[in-house]
Amino acid sequence: MKSRRPLEGIRVADFTWVWAGPFCTLQLAHLGAEVIRIETATRPCVTRMLPPWRDGKPGVNRSGYFNQYNQGKLSLALDLKNPRAVEIAKELVAHSDVVCENFAAGVMQRFGLGYEALTAVKPDIIMIAMSGYGATGPEHEYVSYGPAQVPLSGMSSLTGYPGWPPMHVGISYGDPTGGLHGAFAVLAALVYRQRTGRGQFIDLSQQETSIAVLPEGVLPYTMNGEQLPRDGNRDPFMAPHGVYRCAGEQRWVAIAVRDDEEWQRLASAIGSPELSRDKRYATLGARKANEDGLDEIVTGWTLKHSPEEITASLQALGIASSPSFNSKDISEDPHLNQGGNFVELEHREVGRMRHIGVPWRMSATPCEVARPAPCLGEHIDYVMSKILGRSSAEIAALKEAGVLH
Amino acid sequence: MVQAATHDAMPERALEGLRVIECGEMVAAAYAAKLMADLGADVIKVEPPRDGDAARRRGPFPGKQSDPEQSGLFLYLNTNKRGITLDLQQPRGQDIFNRLVSDADLVIHNFSPRDMPRLGLDFAEFAKRNPRLILVSITPFGLDGPHAKWHTTDLTLWNAGGIAYLNGGGPGHDDLPPLKAFGQQAEFQGGLNAAIAGLGAVFARLQDDKGQHVVVSIQECLAAILELTYEYYPYMGLIASRLGQKPIQPLDFLECKDGWIFVCCVEEHQWQTLVELMGSPEWAQMELFENRIARAANWDACKLFLQEWASTQSVDELYHAGQARRIPLAPVSTMADLLASNHLKTRGFFAVVEHPRAGSVTIPGAPYGFGRTPWDLRRPAPLLGQHTVEILIDRLGMTASDLDDLHQRGII
Repeated sequence: MKSRRPLEGIRVADFTWVWAGPFCTLQLAHLGAEVIRIETATRPCVTRMLPPWRDGKPGVNRSGYFNQYNQGKLSLALDLKNPRAVEIAKELVAHSDVVCENFAAGVMQRFGLGYEALTAVKPDIIMIAMSGYGATGPEHEYVSYGPAQVPLSGMSSLTGYPGWPPMHVGISYGDPTGGLHGAFAVLAALVYRQRTGRGQFIDLSQQETSIAVLPEGVLPYTMNGEQLPRDGNRDPFMAPHGVYRCAGEQRWVAIAVRDDEEWQRLASAIGSPELSRDKRYATLGARKANEDGLDEIVTGWTLKHSPEEITASLQALGIASSPSFNSKDISEDPHLNQGGNFVELEHREVGRMRHIGVPWRMSATPCEVARPAPCLGEHIDYVMSKILGRSSAEIAALKEAGVLH
Repeated sequence: MVQAATHDAMPERALEGLRVIECGEMVAAAYAAKLMADLGADVIKVEPPRDGDAARRRGPFPGKQSDPEQSGLFLYLNTNKRGITLDLQQPRGQDIFNRLVSDADLVIHNFSPRDMPRLGLDFAEFAKRNPRLILVSITPFGLDGPHAKWHTTDLTLWNAGGIAYLNGGGPGHDDLPPLKAFGQQAEFQGGLNAAIAGLGAVFARLQDDKGQHVVVSIQECLAAILELTYEYYPYMGLIASRLGQKPIQPLDFLECKDGWIFVCCVEEHQWQTLVELMGSPEWAQMELFENRIARAANWDACKLFLQEWASTQSVDELYHAGQARRIPLAPVSTMADLLASNHLKTRGFFAVVEHPRAGSVTIPGAPYGFGRTPWDLRRPAPLLGQHTVEILIDRLGMTASDLDDLHQRGII
């Protein structure tokens, strides 16, 4: 018997867009929910309009960004400015278990799709709103973009090289962090509904979920009034602790030495007998006090080797290390290639492209990406006929009228 | 925990009745279990005797005086849990753990596959005693494969997941290394994914009543959040790096007279409104800056002009003035800014936990508001071994003399 995926039979009406919201519903799709994106052709999802494009050729179905974060979902294209389209959306909600959205606060209400309106058609609906600032509070209508969440949440004030301006973290980190908290919240609400028959509204603020992962920045302030200085890759309890240049063009290795004994092993790997005896580096306190010199010594060694060679020799000594992977390294990583994470499914317009799949394995209810990301409006006929029971003539008329597109 | 609603009083909290055993080090397992505890799950945290969880030694500490009962990271990550000590390296410790597991719903840990066998973390054994058990293993690289047993820390994982490579000095700074994000973010991502997959398994069990083993790979969790950068390689054969120029501008940090602001103009009308807010200076009309792509190509010059103007502004005034005009500016919030934020105060975000040793400690509070089932603080993080006696006697039916013996042998 084919095993069921955990959320098999759960339907999600997905009004999200850009990254945070679609990342939330991606987790639900990974767990087997039927996630239907409600899109609009006149204003397609931002990520459909951004590169990378297959073969460099733009197109709403050709973006690797959209196709990565919408795997396993279906697409219905509606013009929500049209009242008849709003009625269809409501009807879909009446056939769904969960509604997800991450518009700015108030947008769903203006469409006539606020929580109150939706409970009228589906009393036990679970609805999550995931705006940048949350549904209440004096700034709830402020405009929020992914890249602005990292500074807003306080993470940028703590991230950066010593003495440098505040920095980003390389991705719009508030989006996945918000999306994951959102997926967890929806699951908790589903478990509760299963036991009690009751749905509810969940108000998630991306700003707050981003602060939730910064206790090591917040607590020094609330306990001691201290704003920690930006300290690059260093750590108060480990040294050496950094990303070191290796032989080759932009090749780097991360190394973290957790105690004095590990330092002795690293010193032996570096191969300088004096280093093991050097009092300037013998204890954590001494290494922290002389960390610039320490990092120079480590770099002197790493520069002569590839990150893979350094990692192999340090792992053999029980020292934490890893090459700093780029996207090519990830694609070619023997470990990831053996582990079954990558997904390559046949997509109508881009063919078989490699995507990152489900980051967990379940022994009894395996989670696999069921289908590639949908083309815009690809599942109009399925949703309208199989879920909402419309005839092909009715569907054709709605398309003709521009309600569906 | 699965009972028909009609027989019970309506549970007040979303995860009330869910029995979780957490044994972990530092962040990942503790955060996954905290997410559940804060929504009502009954979580027992199992720590090694004597030293306890490594997060107890991490701090920050009030007055910077190291004390395993007052570590800020530990106090935050372990709200609403009860705590026991148990030496899982000793067979009798494992026996007691197995008895706890026999009526638990979930066990969550983040020990490496290298250490799982000697700690008795064996799904097949657990399943014999409790076929409904869900074991969640948060691992660096999964259970198998060439890197499964690698030694790791948060920094090395952040690099193995490909995120560090994307962040750093930017164009012209190829001497500077890939840069980590602040805090133990690889662990937080692992914890979040574990909480999702774990609760997914709980939901599955509502239908089929079967437990299972859930294995999370932190490397895969990080590769999953490379935003649009990873796909550049399969789709276009390009490698994204921190050294490239941003495709559009402004998306950058500017220094005001009293702090930093992040200026973000994605749409043309946002830029035009910003130009008006600046008093429509002449430089802004230059062809060099005529659209977001041109501004990115000539960002060095554009930034000089903008920075000159920003240095006369106050962060807070500029933030609100910009937002009033729908320009998505954001302050580069310091911790003081967050605690003083009127918005966060009105929403009641920060919470105060009363702890017997550390006193009143302000921590980040509910990351979401549930309309029906509250997120709430019912108890502070446990003292080391605080609930050992209560749990071993009440739940497992042991006697005081059993406990004396275990204590003498260093098992509890």
